[in-house]
Amino acid sequence: METTELKEKLKVQIIQFLNLTDLTPADIKDDEPLFGDGLGLDSIDSLELIVLLKREYGINIQDPKEGRKVLVDVNTMATYIEQNREK
Amino acid sequence: MMSFYIHKTTCISPQQTFGDNIDIATLHPSVDNKLYAIEPAYPQFKGNALRRMSKSTRIGAGAALPLLAGAPQPDGIIIGTQVSGMEENGKFLNQIIEYNEDMLTPGSFVQGTPNTISSQIALISNNKNYNLTHVHRGLAFENAVIDVAMLLNENPRSNYLLGGVDEISFNNYTLDTLAGWFKKEDCLNSDMYSSTTDGSLSGEGAAMFIVGNDKQNAMAQLKAITTIHSADVEVIKTRIKKFLEENLADGEKADLLLTGENGDKRSLPFYTSFDSLFDNYTSIARFKHMCGEYPTASSFALWLACNVVSGAVNVPQHMIKRKGEATGFKNILIYNTHKVGQHSCMLVSLPV
Amino acid sequence: MGVISAIGHSVDENHAALVNGKTGIIKGGGNFPSRYSGILPFGEVLIGTEELKTKLGVTEPGVTRTTLLALHAFNEAIADAKLTQNQLTAADTALVGATTVGGMCLTDELYANTHGDAENIEYVKSFDYASVNLYIQTRYGITGVINTMNTACSSSANAIMYGCRLIKSGLANRVIVGGADSLAKFTVNGFNALRILSDEACTPFDQNRKGLNLGEGAAFLVLEKEADVADKKIYAEVSGYGNANDAYHPSSLSPEGDGPYLAMKNALDSAGLKPVDIDFINAHGTGTENNDEVESRAMLRLFNALPDFASTKGFTGHVLGAASAIEAVYSVLNIDRQELYPNLNFKEPISGIGLQPVQAHSVAAIKHVMSNSFGFGGNCTSLIFSKVQ
Repeated sequence: METTELKEKLKVQIIQFLNLTDLTPADIKDDEPLFGDGLGLDSIDSLELIVLLKREYGINIQDPKEGRKVLVDVNTMATYIEQNREK
Repeated sequence: MMSFYIHKTTCISPQQTFGDNIDIATLHPSVDNKLYAIEPAYPQFKGNALRRMSKSTRIGAGAALPLLAGAPQPDGIIIGTQVSGMEENGKFLNQIIEYNEDMLTPGSFVQGTPNTISSQIALISNNKNYNLTHVHRGLAFENAVIDVAMLLNENPRSNYLLGGVDEISFNNYTLDTLAGWFKKEDCLNSDMYSSTTDGSLSGEGAAMFIVGNDKQNAMAQLKAITTIHSADVEVIKTRIKKFLEENLADGEKADLLLTGENGDKRSLPFYTSFDSLFDNYTSIARFKHMCGEYPTASSFALWLACNVVSGAVNVPQHMIKRKGEATGFKNILIYNTHKVGQHSCMLVSLPV
Repeated sequence: MGVISAIGHSVDENHAALVNGKTGIIKGGGNFPSRYSGILPFGEVLIGTEELKTKLGVTEPGVTRTTLLALHAFNEAIADAKLTQNQLTAADTALVGATTVGGMCLTDELYANTHGDAENIEYVKSFDYASVNLYIQTRYGITGVINTMNTACSSSANAIMYGCRLIKSGLANRVIVGGADSLAKFTVNGFNALRILSDEACTPFDQNRKGLNLGEGAAFLVLEKEADVADKKIYAEVSGYGNANDAYHPSSLSPEGDGPYLAMKNALDSAGLKPVDIDFINAHGTGTENNDEVESRAMLRLFNALPDFASTKGFTGHVLGAASAIEAVYSVLNIDRQELYPNLNFKEPISGIGLQPVQAHSVAAIKHVMSNSFGFGGNCTSLIFSKVQ
């Protein structure tokens, strides 16, 4: 799958998974920080995104702290998925 | 003395009870044996906040926030609920089974704890004061009332936010239907009281109150409350008689009864017995065709009683079971039962 | 008092384990069927549910493990307090209990009943929180005030506080207060989803702590007015209590620990005591990164000279709705036996904070004990128990 396609798919999944009903994929920029200023997600969201990575891409992140390094923005998530997803 | 004054109250319910255009004369019908709450828009909740809220938290906080806006912080937030968060618990439960306990999302687990309502209200209003959630089924709200009455005795100059909240969730509706508490056959709320079968209709709602010891500007006074655990009609009759003797002054009578008759033939004997304690002077009205049956439905009745006693609303025809001789409603007696074994009485009066 | 936990099925058994430093946290105790049995450590009560039913003479259908644990502890407490049948059924005897699991320990049955199983409905009326106290009420014919609370991990502390206030306000003359929780897939998976369960025995207040262990159990205490005690043994008095809300996040505490700080301060104020009067703190100390650090900071904020403190969760695990009641029993034992019990598994203080809990059983002069519980939704409660002179 093309990276751009992956990023678009990821945005849809993030919105659905986290129930961000206010947002559309167009509202999420590739480099917009997911936490803090930006999308303003919190620690429970980061745990939920780790589950998303497991369920949709078969990637198992054991340590939530490691997860935060991956879950910076859509760009970093997409890169990590491409490197680590189950074939 | 278990009494206090009610200054403000709001209610989100299956009827038009919230916002600027309160209209209880029009009876909104049940759908599929359920009375779902009419929810307002929630401009004060941004999208991010709403997504984290179970329905109970949404309607609970939605009803509470207008009472808190522009007012000093209450010295405590005390909520009675039984089934709030059950929809969220259900979602989490489904995950446990469907994913065989592997890698689950925590959001609905956290959002399913019953004290989420009181703690979200505290979070939104930055209230670090006393915060408690009572969950004793049909007496959850009454226990919250007693808690607040004690708090006001302990802290006479304080004010508290008191509430009763419950939601219809798929899981609880299913369980309660299996247990025989909701009607299996189709039944409209407007026909509920003439039903001769077991079970009632499912409802939900959030009623919130700002209460204190200050009589000034109070809309109503909760004069007394009692809770009874029994399935014996005579025991309950005796206890209620005693409650009335202890709390109505000589010569005073209850002008209006608000009873929790709910169309379940098993609880009818309690209400028939209760009605028989009062002569033709007293009017009798019922409220569960408006809000449905749920553990904290008595909080809806309290909202009604406050608004009737203060003259804010008139008792609509669809509520009246018997029109009595009383020309004004100064003393309103609420009697409610839940699942046969739990009973409560609340005496609500015009502040004097 | 009455208690059942991973370290014993009576006050005496629990006491012996506390003195001997013998933990009840193990992997694979055999009574908790879950994917995580044998993988994660739990503070299991090592009696099967059916055996509990037989021992307690429970023959009615629909009685859950949580209720059985509660009944066991309740029985010990009322016997210890020598309550008569008349007293139990009197209108001035109240029952205030807490649970966070209730009948949801039957997670699979709950799922089945809500997904089409209309045949096996034994537990359909017992899944909620109130079912525990309602069973006890029915069994003993209790007619006074009955209440169930659920404020997550501080639930039974709030129950104890509520019981005291019922007596003070004249709504009851004696109150049986406490809580119960059993291990449930529901809570195990919930805490696991939050990634705060440790795969080893918990290490409260340790720099390398990895999370909490869940436990199960129940405890009840009988509260009476001094005037009514006659020649019965008095273990201790509840001299103060305080509840406050952290108002920061649904499942973690604020860095400054306002909620814990205010709860402790309110308890001291209500007892008319100063921080320096406290001889020992039974800490919440779950072993999670967030709790132990914030709790430490809040204690340091309040106490100029921090008294001895320890978490007993290394013995029992975190028993959620029953935790505060069980820890209340242990706090009362500190006073009754004039001794301290250790914070197990501690090796290294939290860096930047440097606190060391009590690490060995010792005899000590104890007059006032503070017991703290901090729950989801920022609900923080602090109780103070004192020796009666």
